[in-house]
Amino acid sequence: MEPETGLNLTIRQLHRQRPRNRFIRYSIGLMLGVIVLSWVLGDFFTGEVFNERRLQNLQRFLSELIPYPLQGRAFDWGIASDWAQNILAVHGLEAMVTTLAISIAAIVLAAIGSMPFTFLAARNLSTPEPFLPVIGKQPTAVPLTWRLVVGMTRLLLIFLRAIPEYVWAFLLLTILGISAWPIVLALALHNIGILGKLSSEIVENLPTASLSSLRSLGATRLQIFGAAVIPMALPRFLMFFFYRWETCVREATILGLLGFVSLGFWIQDARARNNYDEMFLLILLGATLIMVGDLVSAIARKVIRDAG
Amino acid sequence: MIKLSRRRWVIISIIIAGLWSAYVLDLGPGSLSTGAGGLALAGEFFSHALQPALHYESPVPTGTTPILLRSLHAAGWTVAFTATAISLALVFGLSFGFAASTAWWSEDLTARDTAWRRILAAYVAPAVYGITRILINLMRSVHELLWAVLLLAAFGINHLSAAVAIAIPSAGTLAKIFSEMIDETPRDAALAMRDAGATPLQIYFIGLLPRALPDITAYTLYRFECALRTSAVLGFFGFPTLGFYIAAAFENLHYAEVWTYLYALFALVALVDWWSGKVRRSMLLWNQRQV
Repeated sequence: MEPETGLNLTIRQLHRQRPRNRFIRYSIGLMLGVIVLSWVLGDFFTGEVFNERRLQNLQRFLSELIPYPLQGRAFDWGIASDWAQNILAVHGLEAMVTTLAISIAAIVLAAIGSMPFTFLAARNLSTPEPFLPVIGKQPTAVPLTWRLVVGMTRLLLIFLRAIPEYVWAFLLLTILGISAWPIVLALALHNIGILGKLSSEIVENLPTASLSSLRSLGATRLQIFGAAVIPMALPRFLMFFFYRWETCVREATILGLLGFVSLGFWIQDARARNNYDEMFLLILLGATLIMVGDLVSAIARKVIRDAG
Repeated sequence: MIKLSRRRWVIISIIIAGLWSAYVLDLGPGSLSTGAGGLALAGEFFSHALQPALHYESPVPTGTTPILLRSLHAAGWTVAFTATAISLALVFGLSFGFAASTAWWSEDLTARDTAWRRILAAYVAPAVYGITRILINLMRSVHELLWAVLLLAAFGINHLSAAVAIAIPSAGTLAKIFSEMIDETPRDAALAMRDAGATPLQIYFIGLLPRALPDITAYTLYRFECALRTSAVLGFFGFPTLGFYIAAAFENLHYAEVWTYLYALFALVALVDWWSGKVRRSMLLWNQRQV
């Protein structure tokens, strides 16, 4: 037993007063339970990852990652760079340009497409009297039809972003045939869901003073949206735009796995021909593209942040 | 005025880039129209959106699991791959996040009274920091599905490969964000501990980490949602998650069944989204009360 000094008492009091939240505790418990159950029931160790045949496979795989002309001989920069330049010239560079173009087209389309949803999903715009200055009395309840508009728009946005880009692309490629459109539309659909949600939250959190004053001057809903909401929300909207563009670059590289000629297509192609060295180089190209994209986005966001 | 024109430049560049990409990809209305066949297919597919299948569309052998039960089962597998991947990512993310933060070796938080401490702070720590940063970036820059392609080529199809494929980029991202969160945590408590003679490790685990914990939890939950979607997509590679059944039903032209699985995925993601949003909000309140 510890002696009951004044200090111990204080510590104990502090301990008793520590913030506790039952919901968070249950959530953490639930999470741990799910993780343990998944590890136990998920068949993760029955496959014998390291039996004899698998190890041989792995060894062959690793040895084939070395560029083909260099296999079984000393390393030589000249041969390696010839090999890499050949792959780049044949389809590497072109695939990188295509991947970049897909990501840009998709995010621009998503930004344009999310505008009407922003308009409908923001609770302070989707009311019969947006930004009516409150004088004296409490604002009246929003009618059911308007709440329905907000609710349905939000549900649609959740659905759009709940379905992964890859699934959208898979469905659209069959429906629209192989061109750039299905890939671009798939990326745009998913990102409309995300940008629509984020930008409607931005609009809801805007300071209302200037919006209300426009309203009291007799501006219509669309006039307020065009003249005040968009200019005020633009910097933060652009931040999200670039942040989502980074993920578009990531996704654009792999959507080629489905058959349109971005980087993923050639990665899949090299894998199918068992040219693991080429596949590895193309994966590295994709990684480079993503890193460059992150860098450009970081610079752009800094410019926007500094401009205020 | 300078401020305005800078932002305007950003927007003009975006428009030019958009036009350039439309040109490169040949994105005209002409390439969108696929003829009557494509249009009919699209109409047939989307007309099933409001009537997802509650039973299989074609006769199945007796004893097959009903479709609703099967989508529940697939949703369970989707969660299982996500949970294992995120638990792996959390362990590695926390350790790499520690190494990639400056808080355990920065000048104002560490004593440099002995020779080996000076060497540690001047040479060893920056090297560990730099190498970890590069490693994190490499892990992050290769997409989950490309890790899956690599791991499946190396190890063949097994469940652990799928979990690890999701875990690697998640761990990289978690490590990057964690290290930034810990470095941005207010350092008042840490400085007080340093003055009282605490070691860097004590400072890190008592003065810094607990304060960043709500943010860390919130971000981990966000990554959980992302991993959930990737896990569903891994079904396209042959794992028993929702993507597998979406692909199979679509290829058999059972569009109503496709919508059943799509709605199952939607329900799962929306549920996790709602739950993690609730946790994040109460974490935020908890943090405010703490400060």
